[in-house]
Parts: sequence; C-alpha cells; structure tokens
Amino acid sequence: MRLILTALYKLSGIVAALCILSITGLVFAQVCLNLVDKIAAAVTGQAIGLTIPSYSDFTGFLLAASTFLGLAYTLREGGHIRVTLVTGLLRNKTRHRIDAVVLAVALAMVAYTAVYMGLLVAESHTYGDRTSGMISLPLWAVQLPVAVGLVVLTIALLDELICNLMGLPASYEGKGENLLNE
Amino acid sequence: MSVLTLSIILFVLLFILLGSGLWVALSLLAVGMSAMMLFSDAPLGLVMATTIWGHGNSWALAALPLFIWMGEILFRSRLSEDMFTGLAPWMSRLPGQLLHVNIFGCGIFAAVSGSSAATAATIGKLSIPELSKRGYPEKMVIGTLAGSATLGLLIPPSIILIVYGVATEQSIARLFVAGILPGLLLVSLFVGYVIIWGVMNRDSLPVEGARYSLREKLYHSRRLLPVIGLIAGVIGSIYAGIASPTDAAAVGVVLALVMSWSSGSLTRQSFVEGLMGAMVTSCMIAFILAGASFLTVAMGFTGIPRLLAEWIGSMGLSTYTLLAALTVFFVIMGCFLDGISVVVLTTSVIMPMVLKVGIDPLWFGIFVVIVVEMSQITPPVGFNLFVLQSLTGRNILTVARAALPFFLLMLVALAIIVAVPEIVTFLPDNM
Repeated sequence: MRLILTALYKLSGIVAALCILSITGLVFAQVCLNLVDKIAAAVTGQAIGLTIPSYSDFTGFLLAASTFLGLAYTLREGGHIRVTLVTGLLRNKTRHRIDAVVLAVALAMVAYTAVYMGLLVAESHTYGDRTSGMISLPLWAVQLPVAVGLVVLTIALLDELICNLMGLPASYEGKGENLLNE
Repeated sequence: MSVLTLSIILFVLLFILLGSGLWVALSLLAVGMSAMMLFSDAPLGLVMATTIWGHGNSWALAALPLFIWMGEILFRSRLSEDMFTGLAPWMSRLPGQLLHVNIFGCGIFAAVSGSSAATAATIGKLSIPELSKRGYPEKMVIGTLAGSATLGLLIPPSIILIVYGVATEQSIARLFVAGILPGLLLVSLFVGYVIIWGVMNRDSLPVEGARYSLREKLYHSRRLLPVIGLIAGVIGSIYAGIASPTDAAAVGVVLALVMSWSSGSLTRQSFVEGLMGAMVTSCMIAFILAGASFLTVAMGFTGIPRLLAEWIGSMGLSTYTLLAALTVFFVIMGCFLDGISVVVLTTSVIMPMVLKVGIDPLWFGIFVVIVVEMSQITPPVGFNLFVLQSLTGRNILTVARAALPFFLLMLVALAIIVAVPEIVTFLPDNM
C-alpha cells in the first residue's frame, strides 16, 4: 500500500515536471520561429508569420496541469509554506495533536474543492464546451488534470492524517523549509 | 452582522489558521470560504472551482516555473564560484575591499535567480569561508550578505514581481523594467555605506596585499562573461520588446542549460534534480496564488475592500501618511509571513485603497517589494536571517543586529522613491 501511494505521488509529480519541460520546449520553439521570421523579414522584406497555433493557450493549460498535479509531491517534499513559528514553541506531543486537527481541516477543504472541480469538469463534458483559439480542444480534457491533481492531494492528506493518528511523523517534517520559502 | 465585525472575525481567523500551521495557500482559501459562507448566497463550490481554474491556466504566470528552473540550473552550476574569482580583483583597492564582493555578487546572482534566500545561500556558502579566512569582521560579512541578498526580490527577473503582476493585472515586462533603477539605487547605497564604514574602520579590515594589473583584472573577469551574457540576453530581449517575460524565461532556461553543459556541471542527475526542484517551488507559489485569487473574489462578494477603501478615502489621509502606515503594517506582517503571502494578501484587500488615493499600481509594486525586502531581515521571521543563521551558526538576534544598518538603508531608499517616483517610472515610460 505504501509503495503504491508513494508511486502515485511520484508519478503525478513527474508528469507535473514534464509539463514544465513542455512549456519550455513550446515557448522556445516559438521564439526560434520568431527569430526565423525576423531574419526572413530582413532578407526578403516580408515576414512569413510563423506561429505555433494557440501556443499561449497551451502554455496556460500545461501550467495549470503542472501546478495541480505537483501538489501532493510538493506536500511530501515540504515545499508548501506554513508558519511554524508558533507551533515550533510547543511540546512535540501537543504539536502532533494540533497537526492532526490541521490535517483534518486541510483534508475537508481539499476534498470539497476536488468534488466541485470534478463537477466543473463533468459540466464541461456534458455541454461539450471547447477551448477558444485556433486549435480548439474539449474543455473537460484540459481541466481534468486540475481535478486529478486535487484528488491526489486529497489522498495524500488522508494518508498523512492516518499516519499522524497512528503516531508516525509527517512525511514533510524537517524537509526543505529554509531555501524555498520566500 | 456589521462589516466591521465580519472583517475582524476574518482577520482573527486568518491569524489563527496561519499560526496553527495550516499551509498558507489553504489558510487563504479557508478565509475566502468563510467570508462567502457568512456574507453571501453565491454558490460557494462553483465559484471556487471556476476561480481556481480561471486563474490556474495563465499565460503570464508560465514565466514563473521557467525563471525558477533557470535559477535551479545555475544554482547547480559553477556560476557562483566563477563570480567570486571574477569580481575579487576589481574590489581589492576600494575601502571595504572584498566586502563589496558580497554586494555585487548578490546583485548579479539576484539577476539570475529571482529569489533572495537562494541568493543568500549561494553567495554566502562561497564568501563566508573566504572572507572570514582573510580576517574580515564577522558583523560586516553577515550584514552585507543579509542586506544585499534581498536584492533578489527586486532586480529582474524577480519572482515576486511576477506574482504581483499576475495578481494585480500589471504588465510584468513593465514591472521588471521598473525594478532596474531602484535596484541600482539600493546597490549604490550599500556600496556607499561599506565605503564610508571602511574608511572609518581601516584598522579592523585586513590589508589586501594582492595588486592586479588591468590586464590581470580583465583576464580574471572572463569568468563573469557567461553570466553577464545570460542576464543581458534575458533582460535585453524583454527591454527591446522582442520577447514577453515568458518568452525570455524560456530563452534563459535554454541558455542556462547550454552554459552549465559547456562548463561540464550538467549531469543527468543535476538536470532531474533541478527540474523537480523548480516544479516544487513553482507549485507552491502557484497554489498560494490560487488561494489568494479565490480570497480576492470572495472579498469582492463581501464588499470589505470597497468599504475599507471608502473609509480610508473619507479620512482624507495624504498619500504620504497612507504609505507610512502601510510600510509599518507590511513590516509587521512580514515578521510573520513570507514575501509572496504578503503580496497576495495586499492585492486582495489593500489594492482598492491604494487606487482610491491615486497611487500608481506600477510604482506601488516596487514600493511593496522593497518593504518586503526589509521584512526579510527583520526578526522573528526573516528568511534571509534563517539562511544566514544556518550558514554561520550565530543566533538570529546577532544576525539581525548585523543586518540592521542595511534595513535602515532600505528605509532611505523607500524615502527616495517616494520623493522621486521617476526613479521607478522613468524606464517603463520610455520603453
């Protein structure tokens, strides 16, 4: 079970990272085309007008997918910022209990958000909404990763809560809080 | 329930949630949810889902992971080491000597990293051992690092300016360009202070024996070339108007990859680590932004920001009084929250107030960033202080005391940009 869960978080984290890689590739390709265009305009006096259709829309969709699919992985890496100033002063046992409450609140909120994001995706599917732009995709398909990411985060929070109640330390405890916080 | 009671309840709720250790993004989301439940009949879940989707897929925000990734790649390359050896020959004759390496090193690294904690960590890891070995006073080593590392927030490409730009719908390219002169202003204030201090305290500084001829200086400076080329390429393409910040960020990533590949520090492992690190940081920031965007929408439903703006408007405060009050407020907030949270909270509640008294939102962005920089070096929560604490093993109050002169210099810089707003607006107006 532990192995499956870890694999799930890692997989969705890797997909998130691949989205960033794709953004870089896509945008850089467009910059290269712009350059070719500029050179062509200088040589022949006429721009060809090379553009990747809807590239800025795609970039946005990839960013959304990356953000939400990365949530669970980031949680476990201790990447999400929280204020530890107050709780840091408490005794370990008290802090562990407060963490349980915090996790329960987080779980309820994220689960709620995930449900409504799921409903939004379903609605887009029912009405057959499509994205605007030159290349039009079904809206539900680009919204789906956001909902999936929230579901994975829900699972990760449930996982943390159960571990907490069993008396285990949190996966994000003592990880990378110094350099990333800004 | 009156608006006042409600605002107080929400404010207290926010502090309880943050204090209990609930993640910042979720705290913002929770306050937004409570505000909507208490104060409007709008369908909560639906508004939330559409807001999150609407703000999550943003072309402008796509610059964020790319600039973070660029910083991660350079962080893992030999860049900082090169910078020290390249800069040192130029500084050895100036009063204050190699202390200036901290300032210029941070200034340059800030231009490629966009994050002040990363700047403090990278430059500090390199310069602290080097400078203490040569006998520089610890107080000044720590102080110059703490102060100048905050430049990472202001000197473009700056992650916090991207966040501000996206949240307030300002042009990110204009914000970047607006940050250049204030950044240089801060650098010159820091350098001036170290020179004066150096002249007054000649005895406590070591004598730099090595003299370099111009030829040697230039020869050593060749190691600065790649990074200067990178900065010129990224900022130049934005300034010349041929690339949007997102485009420029992608170019920066590719150049950084080429640079670290040619210097031999790019391995499969460092590539994967850098990419995953960039994903984690950008996910954290984008999630906070999603929470803040929902809070902004929820606040709109409650009408609190509008009433607050009207209230401030009716008091007939002068712009200066308002700015002074906001500075104090931000520095206090910054004692407990990180820079990005401060900025996103600002945009949800304070922006209407600021617009009401007729402050230019572009100028205000730079103002906020400088105040946030100041809050990075104020105890008890100042991320630069934490980084330097872990690098030097000194306690946070010692580090904070060393940083105090630089805090005051930033206050001077604030006063200057209030008195002469053109320092901020001149470049963007002439873009």
